[in-house]
Order: sequence, then C-alpha cells, then structure tokens
Amino acid sequence: MIEVKSLTKVYGKKHNVFTALDDVSFEVPTGASVAIIGKSGSGKSTLMHIMSGLDRPNEGEVVVNGENILELKQKAIDKFRATKMSFIFQSFFVQANETCFDNVSLPLEIAKVPIGERRKRVTKALEAVELGDKLKQKAKNLSGGQKQRLAIARAIVNEPEIIFADEPTGNLDSVTGEKVEDILFSYNKKNGVTLIIVTHDPDLAQKCDMQINIKDGKIESIQYAKNKKAAPRPSRRVVS
Amino acid sequence: MKIRDITRRAGRSLKNAKARTLLTSLAIGVGAFTITLALAAGEGGRQYAQDIITSNTDVRELYVQPKMDSGMDPTKPREYVEGPSMQFGGGFSQKMLSEKDISTLRELDNVTQVTPIYNASALYITRAGEKKFQAGLEPHNSAIKDEVLAGDVKDIANDEVILPSAFAEVLNVSPDAAIGQVIDVVMANTATGEQQVFPLKVSAVVKSSALSAVGSTTLRASRDTVADMYTFSMRGTPLESAYIGALVLANKERDVEGVKESIEKKGYVAQTAEDLMGFLFQFINVLMGILIGFGALAVLTSVFGIINTQYISVLERTQQIGLMKALGMRRRDVGRLFKLEAAWIGFLGGALGSVLALAGGAAANPWIRDVLTLGENTNLLLFQPWMFAVVIIGLMLVSVGAGILPARKAAKLDPIEALRTE
Repeated sequence: MIEVKSLTKVYGKKHNVFTALDDVSFEVPTGASVAIIGKSGSGKSTLMHIMSGLDRPNEGEVVVNGENILELKQKAIDKFRATKMSFIFQSFFVQANETCFDNVSLPLEIAKVPIGERRKRVTKALEAVELGDKLKQKAKNLSGGQKQRLAIARAIVNEPEIIFADEPTGNLDSVTGEKVEDILFSYNKKNGVTLIIVTHDPDLAQKCDMQINIKDGKIESIQYAKNKKAAPRPSRRVVS
Repeated sequence: MKIRDITRRAGRSLKNAKARTLLTSLAIGVGAFTITLALAAGEGGRQYAQDIITSNTDVRELYVQPKMDSGMDPTKPREYVEGPSMQFGGGFSQKMLSEKDISTLRELDNVTQVTPIYNASALYITRAGEKKFQAGLEPHNSAIKDEVLAGDVKDIANDEVILPSAFAEVLNVSPDAAIGQVIDVVMANTATGEQQVFPLKVSAVVKSSALSAVGSTTLRASRDTVADMYTFSMRGTPLESAYIGALVLANKERDVEGVKESIEKKGYVAQTAEDLMGFLFQFINVLMGILIGFGALAVLTSVFGIINTQYISVLERTQQIGLMKALGMRRRDVGRLFKLEAAWIGFLGGALGSVLALAGGAAANPWIRDVLTLGENTNLLLFQPWMFAVVIIGLMLVSVGAGILPARKAAKLDPIEALRTE
C-alpha cells in the first residue's frame, strides 16, 4: 500500500514560483498497476521522483507500507531504493559498453548480494525477459526493444516491491512496445509487484488497474478499470 | 556496494576509455620514471661510496689528530699549544702527536691497536736494473679490501711488500713473476742526507684501483718496517717521535662511536671512516634530492591531468551516475568509484614508469660504467623491490588525492538532473 498525502512541490522563489504539484493525494493498493498520465510539464515526473524518494516535496507524505519514506535518512532511503524499488526509463539507460550480465548485476552489487547468488539471479532475470542467450553480449549490440527488456531485467533482478516506469515504451515502435508492455504487466500480475507507469499514452494507461490524470500539478481524475478491481496481491513469488 | 565490486567497475570504465587512461597514466609515468631512477641512483651511489670506503679504510679505524686552535680566520693570530709541531712558515704550524699521546690512546677501552701515521716517503724505489720511481709507504691493513692479482695479502712479514700493479708494470715484471722479487726501497734521513736501502720481497700484487685514493702510488709494508723507515728518515730532527696523527683501531665496529667519544674526552680530534667519507653520502643525497624534486614536479603536473580527465569522465557519465544513485548507490560509494578509478590510473602510471626505469637502468648501467671507468660489477643505478612499492603506492595515493574533487562532484550529482540528460 502506497499512500500519497497532500504532496506539494514548488520550484523557484518569489516572483518566479512554479507549482509542480499542488496538494496531491491518492492511495495505491499493493500489487496494482497504476498509470500516471498527463501532458509534459503536468508534474507527473516530479510525482514519480518524490514517490521514489529521489526528490523531496515542500509538503506532504509518501507512506509505503506504513512508513513515511520522506522521513528516512539518506542512507535508509538509498537502502530502500536498492532493495524495494526499481526503475525503467524511456531512454533505457543501459550501459552500452558493458555486457548484459554486468548491466543487470548492478542493482545486486549495490544491494551487496554475494557473487554466487548474483549469477543465479541475473541469469533468471535475463531469461524472464527472453534475453537468456545474450548474457555475455555488450548492451550496445542490442536493438531498442532488447535494450528495454534488458532494463526490465535490471529492474526485476532485485525482486522489488515497486517498479517505476517512466515512459517505458516512448522510444519504441508499437510492436516492440507491446512486447515490453506484456512483459511488464505479466510480471506485475504474476508477482504482485506494484507497477507505477508514468506516461502520456492513453492506450498504455488503459491497460492499468488505475489511472491518475494529472493536469497543472493537480489530480484531475482517478479512474479504475472496469471489471478490474485493484485488489491487493500480498503473495509475492520469484521470477519463474 | 562492496569495495571489490567498485574496484572492478572502476577498472572496467577505464578499459572503456583506453586511450585517455593510457595518456593520463603516461603523464604520471614520467614522474614515476624520474623518481625511480633517482632512488636507484641514490642507492647505487651509496653502494659505490660504501665500496670506496671499504677499499680505502677499515670501518673500525679512527683517525686521531691533536686538537688545534681551530680558528680559521686568517686575520687573527692563533694561540700556541705546547708539544711538537711541524712548521710551514708564514706563522702556520701543524700540531703533532707525541709518543705520550700515542700511549694515552693505547690505554683507552676497546682499542686494539694504535698506529701512528708514519709519513714515510721513499727517496726512490727500484728493482735491480730498472729505473727509479717515487713512492710512499704505508702500513698494511688486511681489513681494507683489495683486488689481488697475485700472491696473498692476508699476512705480511717484516721483509715483505705489497706492490700496486702500476709499479709492477713500470718495473717491468708481470704480476705473477713479481712474487718473490726484491724491491729496493731507499730512504733518506732528513737531517743528514744519509741513505739506507730497505730490500723487500714482493708478497702480493694488487690492482691499482680507481676506487682507491692512494693505492696507485703507495706501497704497503708491515707496520714495523714502515715504522723503521720513518724513524730512520726523521732521526735527529725535531720531529723524531712526533706524528701528524694516529690510526686507532677499535675492537669491533659497534665500539667505534664509543671510542670516538672517549678519545675526544681526552682532548683529541677523532674522525671515523664514516666521518671522513660522510661528504660523499651528503653529495649523493643532494643529487638524489634534486632528481626526486624533478620527479615530484612531473607528478605535480600529472595531478592536474588526472583532475581534468576525471572531471571529463564525470561529465560523460552523468547519466550512469544518475542511474546508479537512483538504484540506491550511496553517495560515498559513487565517490569511491571515481577515487578508485584515479587510483587505477596512478597504479598504471607508477607501474609503467618504474618498469621503464628498470629497463632504462639495465641498458644505461654498462654505458655509465664504461664512460666513468668504474670497474666491473659496479652499477651506478641499483634497483630494489622497495623502490617500486614506494613509487607505485605513493603515486596511487597522489592520484586518489587528485581524484577527490571530481569524485566529490560525482557524489553530489542530483540523480534527477542526471537522468534528465539524454
């Protein structure tokens, strides 16, 4: 359960004040897939950054499983991100000169997972995104869709509770984009991981359990998908 | 993140920028090269000086002189001190040691032997049928190293002489054939001009050494023989039984300092072999210091290179740093990543420079030996394992120091800003 309570974020000073988020509140049940939609500049990225502890709001709370992460010290927040969260970005941010293995192993190294365990989990994560044969390949030799799948493998390798995806299909054509979406949603359903997607693509948003529309820093509407009740899924299983 | 994983990642990102890494390391390598050579030259020089000392002096030996009014100011008259002295004219005189002084020295603790300096100079020496040559004579000390060409230098009887090879040459005899030959040493009495011939058998021929200060023009005989010669030449003069100094032999090497103290307490001036040759070491240390200074200058220059390279690296990898921080990497670990990269550069530079220095030294040593005619087996550039350790570790530390600023920049990077860069 993620509770977002009256988040307000203001940039600039005095005459140049820009309110990126204005008293934003909502709740996300565990295991739900959530789309945060809005135009560019609407404040959706800022919202994601604050929810993941990368940014700090001027006011408000982000309570994850009963704990306000904004009150944590930097060390604890880093640990929280290393073990319970992960990210997928529009432009992949995979390290071109490193092998697929080293790309995916980075979050595990940060979380101080021992090397033997690392090998097992990296292999499993790469197999889950159908890149099991590319272990030793340099990331620069992959296609766009493969790069994003590699990024997904990196996001799921530490078995997080929340995955943040910032325009995950924005740089992909519709066919490869769909494949990436399928992988994300099936992982979300299978493992009960909360998936938070920031997008301006209504088609992608339609596939989520919950859509939060943001405009000018305010929530315009929250829609729940028909016949899909965002039920909590507490049971988490490892990647098959 | 574990240090080992950070180190591995640091090494990998350097590998991805090979040319830049190599060039930056080369800059620091120049410093490593110079410093390693400086250390090697210092070590070689000290070794060489040590060789000179052991071929000229016995480390247990102290050179003792009477204490003199040491005022060196030529405008002030010096006080007269009782006792024998040698007059040079112009108001200058050299105080000398008397037999009483010699026996005082003999009574000191830990003293094995006291040999007055017999300033014995032969009128000439010759071999039957050959030309006459000038020569000095001094008592033989078997503790002084020699390169023996023929015969044995361990013991010397009173009727024997050790001949430098230069004399064997001019006296027309090969070293081997010289053994057992008779050399006539002719002394003259300073007061009467009376001459006496001391026929001595050659017991050994030693190489006239470049290391030795006196060996080429001085023959060595037993202490008693040299004493006889000196006594003969000085008989009837005011300087009979007076000596410009004495060599005091301490029991053991570690007694030398103690003996020096007790001699000075008795009112004499004593110098150990090390005192006498100390200037050599000082000279070598100054030279080494200058070379190390140049090396340090090169290292200082390369420090700016490292700072520059690392700043560029941080800029280039803004996005990677942002990702790592978003994934929960601690600020401290991000800083460490860049410091360790700098350490790698320092290691490469240090290793590169010292290996080049080693290769250069191996190539230069024979050449230096030839040019300076140092004699075989003398290497003026001596490499020791500790030098490489010192240079490499030192430069790694310097590089880490240089990497601090860029590493701080990386650690401070805002992940949101960093991830916005595309």
